Amino acid sequence: MNITLTINGSDCELSCEPHDSLRKVLRSAGYYSVRYGSDTGETGAAAVLLDGELISADVMLAAQAQGHAIETIEGLSTPGTLHPIQEAFIETGAIQSGYSTPATILAAKALIDRNPDPTEDEVRDALSGILDRETGYLRPVHAVLRAAAVLRGETPESIDVVTLDPLVDSDGPHTDRDGITEIAPRVVPSVDVPETRIVGKPETKVDAIKLVKGNPAFTDDVHVQGMLYAKVLYSPHAHARIVSIDDSKARALPGVRAVLHHENVPRVRYASGGQSYPNPLPYDQVSFDDKVRYVGDRVAAVAADTEEIALAALDLIDVEYELLPAVFDENEAILDGAPVIHDEPDMEGAHDASHNIVHHLKADTKSVEDGFAAADRVFEQTLRVHQVHATPIENHIAIAAWDSDERMVITSSTQVPFHVRRMLAPLIGLPAKQIRIIKPRIGGGFGVKQEMLIEDIVAHLTMATGRPVRLELTREEEFRSSRTRHPQTVTFKTGVDAEGKLTAQEMRIVANTGPYGSHGLTVQMVSGLRGLSSYNCPAKRFDCKVAYTNLPVPGAYRGYGAPQALFALEAHMEDIADALDMDPIEFRRLNWTNVGDPLDIAQQLGEGDQDASVMPLVTSSGLEEAVAQGARAIEWDRRNDPDWHTPADRPHIRRGLGFAMMMHGTAIPGLDMGGASLKINDDGSFNLLIGATDLGTGSDTVLAQIAAEVVGVGTDDIIVYASDTDMTPFDTGAYASSTTYISGMATKRAADQVREQIVARAALLLDTDEASIDLHDSAAWAPDGRSVSLETIALSTLHQEGQHQIMATASYVSPESPPPYAAQYAEVEVDVDTGQVTVTDLVMAVDCGVPINPVTASGQVEGGMTQALGYGHCEEMAYDEDGRLLNPSFGPYKIYRADEMPHLEAILVQTMEESGPFGAKAIAEIPKDGVAPAIRNAIADATGARITAIPFTPERVWRALQEV
Amino acid sequence: MIQTYARPATLQEALDLLADPHAAVLAGGTDLNGDAAGAPKIAVDLQDLGLSGIDTDGSTLRIGAMTTLQDLVDATDAPSLLRELAHREAPSTIRNAATVGGTIGSSDPESELLAGLLLFDAAVALATATGSAEVRLDDLLDDPTALVGSIITSVTLSTSGATAADRTGRTPMDRPIVMVAGRLASDGIARLVATGVASRPVVIDPNRMDDLEPPADFRGSSEYRRHLAGVLADRIVERLEGGRA
Repeated sequence: MNITLTINGSDCELSCEPHDSLRKVLRSAGYYSVRYGSDTGETGAAAVLLDGELISADVMLAAQAQGHAIETIEGLSTPGTLHPIQEAFIETGAIQSGYSTPATILAAKALIDRNPDPTEDEVRDALSGILDRETGYLRPVHAVLRAAAVLRGETPESIDVVTLDPLVDSDGPHTDRDGITEIAPRVVPSVDVPETRIVGKPETKVDAIKLVKGNPAFTDDVHVQGMLYAKVLYSPHAHARIVSIDDSKARALPGVRAVLHHENVPRVRYASGGQSYPNPLPYDQVSFDDKVRYVGDRVAAVAADTEEIALAALDLIDVEYELLPAVFDENEAILDGAPVIHDEPDMEGAHDASHNIVHHLKADTKSVEDGFAAADRVFEQTLRVHQVHATPIENHIAIAAWDSDERMVITSSTQVPFHVRRMLAPLIGLPAKQIRIIKPRIGGGFGVKQEMLIEDIVAHLTMATGRPVRLELTREEEFRSSRTRHPQTVTFKTGVDAEGKLTAQEMRIVANTGPYGSHGLTVQMVSGLRGLSSYNCPAKRFDCKVAYTNLPVPGAYRGYGAPQALFALEAHMEDIADALDMDPIEFRRLNWTNVGDPLDIAQQLGEGDQDASVMPLVTSSGLEEAVAQGARAIEWDRRNDPDWHTPADRPHIRRGLGFAMMMHGTAIPGLDMGGASLKINDDGSFNLLIGATDLGTGSDTVLAQIAAEVVGVGTDDIIVYASDTDMTPFDTGAYASSTTYISGMATKRAADQVREQIVARAALLLDTDEASIDLHDSAAWAPDGRSVSLETIALSTLHQEGQHQIMATASYVSPESPPPYAAQYAEVEVDVDTGQVTVTDLVMAVDCGVPINPVTASGQVEGGMTQALGYGHCEEMAYDEDGRLLNPSFGPYKIYRADEMPHLEAILVQTMEESGPFGAKAIAEIPKDGVAPAIRNAIADATGARITAIPFTPERVWRALQEV
Repeated sequence: MIQTYARPATLQEALDLLADPHAAVLAGGTDLNGDAAGAPKIAVDLQDLGLSGIDTDGSTLRIGAMTTLQDLVDATDAPSLLRELAHREAPSTIRNAATVGGTIGSSDPESELLAGLLLFDAAVALATATGSAEVRLDDLLDDPTALVGSIITSVTLSTSGATAADRTGRTPMDRPIVMVAGRLASDGIARLVATGVASRPVVIDPNRMDDLEPPADFRGSSEYRRHLAGVLADRIVERLEGGRA
């Protein structure tokens, strides 16, 4: 059928099918800003305006829009210009991946058109239909308020960096906190940080324009001529053998180009976790197997002319299954007699596959038995952490195609393009040189895309058909068949002497890695590392069994074993303090690590190539300052006020405050490596080529700032091109909190070399000595004030004299992993009659060294806390008794929306980490670590209930309250 | 899958189309269009039938079936509790398309807005092949066969009396595990409705809470839901009857 409508003011006639969604038809017509998050409308990524009102184009038929006026963000501005709302989103740092930014801006426009002076609540309501997994909503909400002010002709509030006076070892004055704009980055400066021009400043994101305008930039925006559509047939059973598979009817369906399954795809074993060579054992996967091991496991894949035909073909594949008993609980899975999940003869590298034990990890420093014997008191506690999903709003998507040289080119939403190339090669029988992986913009990843998840499917289908093939997971498939966070049963046993100092600490874990190892080894290593590194203790022991089960597969998810460990540790430490009748922060302070303290367990639980004779030490810590700043911000002294805990007008409410101390790592020492290449252009601008993958974190911007600082230009003179295996240097990828530190140091080293080359030519042109030259404001300056522009230097070296390309490539691997530290505070209200917990405030003060960009760093903390809030409070993957996921959609799987958020505050406490670029340490993952235990400890403060499992859903809390 | 889209200009035309057993009403589409498996072959879009709008004569409120949830939220004539429940029913992107009639037609078992309509004694006006009819919402939720081949044109509420609602959910704007709303009738006794205690929003008797047999799911066991209904009902009765005294 044909429909006529107005799009961005122009009359259009479009052809569509009656069942086509408005999203599909708008995208086909070239409005790429209307993005896919799900088919059911609840992500809001496809929101557009219909007659000026915000609607979800997922759940509106194109036919319904016949005769109406549609606005998309493409209509908001022309090339080279921005709408004031778009400007406000850039200025406030409201954009991370930018995947849903067009929809959010349209929501803002509809609101401001109707109500030029909206309140914050009204803004939050307007944004309530657009889920954001990245920012924590704080910056987008304030961007809308700012845009409204600008459009009213008012001067918006200042969002400059606010300097907070230190509180530790300081008699004041202390910065007055009243009146600080909510989104102004708060930085507590350190005296030993050198002055910089670009680093440490809230520079605009280098990719802001394309993201704020909704320009085509993501994998879904790539269309290859002749492209086929893939769909995957997933197992309906948790554990079954495929007795037979008959694809004849599917193949006979017109438009079907290939049907692949275990009978026609070579059996090559691999591990799917995106990790450095050699990938850790076990190699327990093949592209298609004759056995399925969870509901959602791959059975077959189809490529067809359209998505509808591919879906229809799936229904025509006849599979006969022999059902096998399944096991879901990690503790049951390792018992004698449990169903054996990997019984295939070619299974490689599991510790004890016959007992479903993939790994048995052990580490110890000294005898914990001696330490327990020496203790005044010994505490032992078992806690459970559950399974959650990262849920980036952009699902997994990949497109494979042969290029004109008959090389396999795969555009993929991946965090690890270089690992994917290497890991994919043996699966499809091509050498790595025949494969190119391109990472476009990514709509969020958070670890779930640190996996070679679907690239083998599109590659196999392209090889089978000779045609380009596209596969995009639906939201349900993303929930069920991508990767999740590992559930664990964690037991801590701790000896404490009479003063409250730890004498021994043991951490035992039974972890659940689903049916495939993926990241099962290294996530659990990080759990041990994080669980046993925060506090000094003369004897530590780690013992961890990683179990196969028939649950959907855990993998990497921001935090990577640390959120599990720190929930258990910080609940345990809180309860010990309570039992000892000590202040919970004082008890921790007595034991937490300071500068110079050993990170002894790291010697045994490191992945990388480390010098075992060198004990890693803490080299920088701003923890004391972070604890003080966070306490002041959340008004921690209210903990001592009984009246505050029991508000008189609401008799069933108890209030509480909770704390957790966090310590994370910065990259994997001796392993993570990143490369960068920098070259000058005729006009004195630079191309920065990096292997690092910006998932929305702002790492492209941070790396551009580092390069700009060194070569003396503005960030806008650095043109960043990232992560294309043909074009850029290698990088392990975006994980392990490594990009700023590792790729940043590689960038700095390349820029240092470029700087030397620039200075050499400048010295000739200025007739002065090289050592005296300074680079800034896009010029080289002699001490007497004479200067020569970088453009002149570029033209001189490229065209005029002693011609050469000013350029350098460098890489970096770190021998150490300096820990960022943080203090997390939470305020809650508990309804003691119902168990409902309302989280009202989250404050995190973090020492990330020197934040290269305080706005993007604050955004990492705000967004990370919000994800962590979901982990502790409301998110859970729920299953029926047969292992079927009950809630593979947003809503039933509950993530926070804009209109129900607690107050959020991030405080950046500077320290000068000498090993990092310009003093930087990591920031990306530590915000995931402390929210769950801080909420848990706040519930204990409010009610006395000491809960040993997350999430704190109403019934769990109510049941715990019955025990108090 | 929808194979035919129709946008009739008159109610009669729409009813004629709905005589086909493969046809179904398309209101805002926010439910129907997200459910490819459950989609009808023929979608009959009611947007041109003039079925939206809200009027009141003081004690009764008539809401056109194609009134969007957002229009109800914005209707200052409507009871504030009903506006609040319409607001809570869906987020911003959905409220501008989803309709009051569609909410009744799709009858989500946990819908707070449906519970609110029940609370105000909603009567649902239907246009059918044989004329028009009026059905109590309570009856319609028990037996939706009256909807087959017919069109919800409006819903009428009696809006007198003080109201209150309370709920327990995982987060502040989550669909509640249990919600209880109450209205003080002219006889001075609070009438209560609840979600999360049965397979549909229901009228509950605060004196017979133990009779409830709520369906369990991962957010709440049957026992817990019964407990919540009791706690929330007590609060609502106290708030309403305390407010009256």
